[in-house]
Amino acid sequence: MAGPSRANTPGPVPAIRVLLADENPSRAGALSDTLRADSSLVVIAADPGMPLMDAVRHHTPDIVLVDMSRADRDALDSVRALSGAGLEHPVALFVDEDDQQLMEAAFEAGICSYNVVDTPPRDVKPLLRAAIALYARFQQTQNELQAARKTISDRQTIDQAKRLFMQNEGCGEGEAYRWFRKRAMETARRIPDIAAEYLSRHRKDDTR
Amino acid sequence: MSHPLRIGVLRLADSAPIVVARNAGLFERHGLSVDIAVSPSWANIADGLVWNGLDSALIFPPLAMMTALGRRGRKTGLRPVQAVSFGGNMIVLRGPARPGHDWTAGRAGHRSFRNWKADIGRTPRLAVVHAYSTHLLILTRFLSSIGISVQDDVQLKIMPPDRIIDALSAGSIDGFCAGPPWGEDAARQGLGFVVAGSAAICPGHVEKVLVLNDQAHIEAADLSRTLLAALHDAIALCVDPANADDIARQLAAPLAKGGLALPFAATRAIMPDASLPDAMVFKSRSWDHEALGWMVSDMQGLGWISPEDVVSLERLGWLTQEMAR
Repeated sequence: MAGPSRANTPGPVPAIRVLLADENPSRAGALSDTLRADSSLVVIAADPGMPLMDAVRHHTPDIVLVDMSRADRDALDSVRALSGAGLEHPVALFVDEDDQQLMEAAFEAGICSYNVVDTPPRDVKPLLRAAIALYARFQQTQNELQAARKTISDRQTIDQAKRLFMQNEGCGEGEAYRWFRKRAMETARRIPDIAAEYLSRHRKDDTR
Repeated sequence: MSHPLRIGVLRLADSAPIVVARNAGLFERHGLSVDIAVSPSWANIADGLVWNGLDSALIFPPLAMMTALGRRGRKTGLRPVQAVSFGGNMIVLRGPARPGHDWTAGRAGHRSFRNWKADIGRTPRLAVVHAYSTHLLILTRFLSSIGISVQDDVQLKIMPPDRIIDALSAGSIDGFCAGPPWGEDAARQGLGFVVAGSAAICPGHVEKVLVLNDQAHIEAADLSRTLLAALHDAIALCVDPANADDIARQLAAPLAKGGLALPFAATRAIMPDASLPDAMVFKSRSWDHEALGWMVSDMQGLGWISPEDVVSLERLGWLTQEMAR
């Protein structure tokens, strides 16, 4: 088990055990680096591939920070509703009804936090804030990558469709492009979509 | 609205009306701009509705009602717009069915369960798709009809429907109750056998309803009307047998191509034109409060909601005054 156990922690305030459940290794690494700077925390990274419920049973954390896209989050979610979950202490989704902004930011960034219900209330918010900031940064990079990829593939689609159109209609590039632009304007759709449609329809014709 | 309407769905065949409406341009035709969010789990759908990630979703009534009541953090004015699908859930147990086994209510079913449990060799682990699901209510009813207690005789596991096949084949669960096409898929893959389904346990029950949150209501007064119109057209396409092949193909397409990456053969087999008892049923008709009666009473029986909660649900438009009394 990673980190010292609660009993060995010196001082009057026991350390808060935080379990990070994130299967994205670089994001999990960055978040655990950030949180480890706080000496009042024991940061435990959940073993990749281990079901969340097993990780909670094994590491007995006070707080669990969970990547929302993890499908087994629902299992943690239901501990209170179901018997036989096999957990000594029930856990519950952390919710701050008075801080709507924080909650919305967390869910938008794709992270949520579960607390062990029977332990004394602790302030989860600074932890959650740190996690939100990090997740949002990763999300932005991801979106930029996706946008870049989409732009490239859009351009390839338009080029292919134009070439096919020029071949089929025996016209020049300018006329081909104008045809796609006109169709896009008439149907209130994007040129890459019109181009993709043209490609799929005419390729189908070829195979007949 | 300042942004496209965000509708949450899961990878299920009964999400078809939303997927078809998008792919056939029906939302645009009714002047709506819609983004479909294919979500990893029901908790994500519920949290999305509460914390401004989604404006709308295709969801089963128990979780929608629990979410509206604030059991996921804060009360939201989540309202039903329309029931979209009916029935379609299947209960599947691991292994080949013993020949001649009878799973009907009473003693015969009880004996079959005991024998099956002996074959499994442990307390059966049965999965449902959420703690507050219609599937849990249906499974509870089925087990109790054969004298088996969901509390004491089985271990419940929670997982999103699209993870269930993997869990069954890996041996981490011994059976499940889930929506289409996962029961049919498990049977086709020889992982288990169907013991009962919606049709046998609660014939014609409301399965997925389209809900809209309060904020969306406030921002666009005639949103409900236009959404209903688009759904009506989509359901007409979904129930036309001539479209069954094409729609199953759309649902089987990868996410990036507008599909839900569902197994084609199983999906095709439970389209509305199929003669299976648990084939999907889509209907476009006005909201029928009474249809939720059994769910509300089972939810009370399981201690999920109190009589006061029932009154709140009436105020939010889920139930009629008579039902709340």
